[in-house]
Amino acid sequence: MSKLFYAILLGLVGAGIVHIVILLLIPAFSERDAWSRLEKSGPTYSFVKTVTDDDTVQTIKSADPLFESAACRFDLRNGPVRILGTGTVPFWSVSVYDRRGQNLYSFNDRIATGGVLDLLIVNPAQILELRKDPPPEIVSAVIAETEIEEGVVVLRSFMPDSSWSRHVQNYINQAVCETF
Amino acid sequence: MLKTIFLTALTLLIAIGGGAASVWYALNRIDGLGALSVGVWVAFPAAGTPYADPYSKARIAREAALPLGAAEGLSFIAREDTGGGKLSRNCTYRIEGRVPAARFWTIYAGDDSLDPIPQSAGRTGGLHSRQILRQNDGSFLVTISTHPSEGNWLPIAGTGAMALLMTLYDTPIASNSGVEQFELPQVLKVACDE
Repeated sequence: MSKLFYAILLGLVGAGIVHIVILLLIPAFSERDAWSRLEKSGPTYSFVKTVTDDDTVQTIKSADPLFESAACRFDLRNGPVRILGTGTVPFWSVSVYDRRGQNLYSFNDRIATGGVLDLLIVNPAQILELRKDPPPEIVSAVIAETEIEEGVVVLRSFMPDSSWSRHVQNYINQAVCETF
Repeated sequence: MLKTIFLTALTLLIAIGGGAASVWYALNRIDGLGALSVGVWVAFPAAGTPYADPYSKARIAREAALPLGAAEGLSFIAREDTGGGKLSRNCTYRIEGRVPAARFWTIYAGDDSLDPIPQSAGRTGGLHSRQILRQNDGSFLVTISTHPSEGNWLPIAGTGAMALLMTLYDTPIASNSGVEQFELPQVLKVACDE
């Protein structure tokens, strides 16, 4: 009897360990995370709509129905990434996430010069290089320094009503995500 | 001999089965730690940041969520009305009160997994602060119902459970949560269909 009791007790301790191990491994091994889903729906360095046009497939769970959003995967090992927007919309915001979907950096149109989206994502080595000899075209850019390699940048834009729909979709479609 | 095998198998069964089941339960059934509650509204300011708890990180990995950053906004979720009853799409609710400082806010109804409830053609799935009518004192009233309603009407469709999501964009609350006291609107049940 005491052996049975001992086995159950050992099992419960084991269950605690298994619980912690599974919990900590999920973010690293998940094949359902935002990165994996975006990988299936588009190449790196291109903005992929987070909800498809017919509203059936959600690439990532973000879904304020009054927003249009798109995500672009990048890899800083290929050089800094530049995000550019043209035109104006009532509100836009940008977030930089790491490979596991942790938000590292976010800003909105009030922070940008003149409300224009111009973001440069760099790692510490690249920022040193840029400071030595800053190219004139990045003077007005917002510079986000991170220590990640792979990441996702998400651009969200507010659509106050359906008359804005085409304008806001154009804004998202014309947004550029490229290596600098 | 047989007894040893049985006991070993039992131990392993409890350890692996119990461990996996408890993780599944924690991720699917429990709402998470680090919640910021204001009345019936709950937000998770740390979700999706490096400071989030392991459960929140695991949930984000499984749901493919990319939560709003501090400079973008903060989402509040309500699954119950102010009286304590679960929100249902069969009922009509009235949201009234004030919202803390923000550039604007949106409100929409979602299903159990917080995806927006599909709307019939021509209807937008949410309301925002720049389109609603207000009372003289700056407070507002929104009616949530499957039936058309005067004033600010947030249409819903279908039956079953419902959650309300109110998102404040570009708000100081997102970056100093807990420091200042603020209020969010009440969710009052008006009536239910048979």
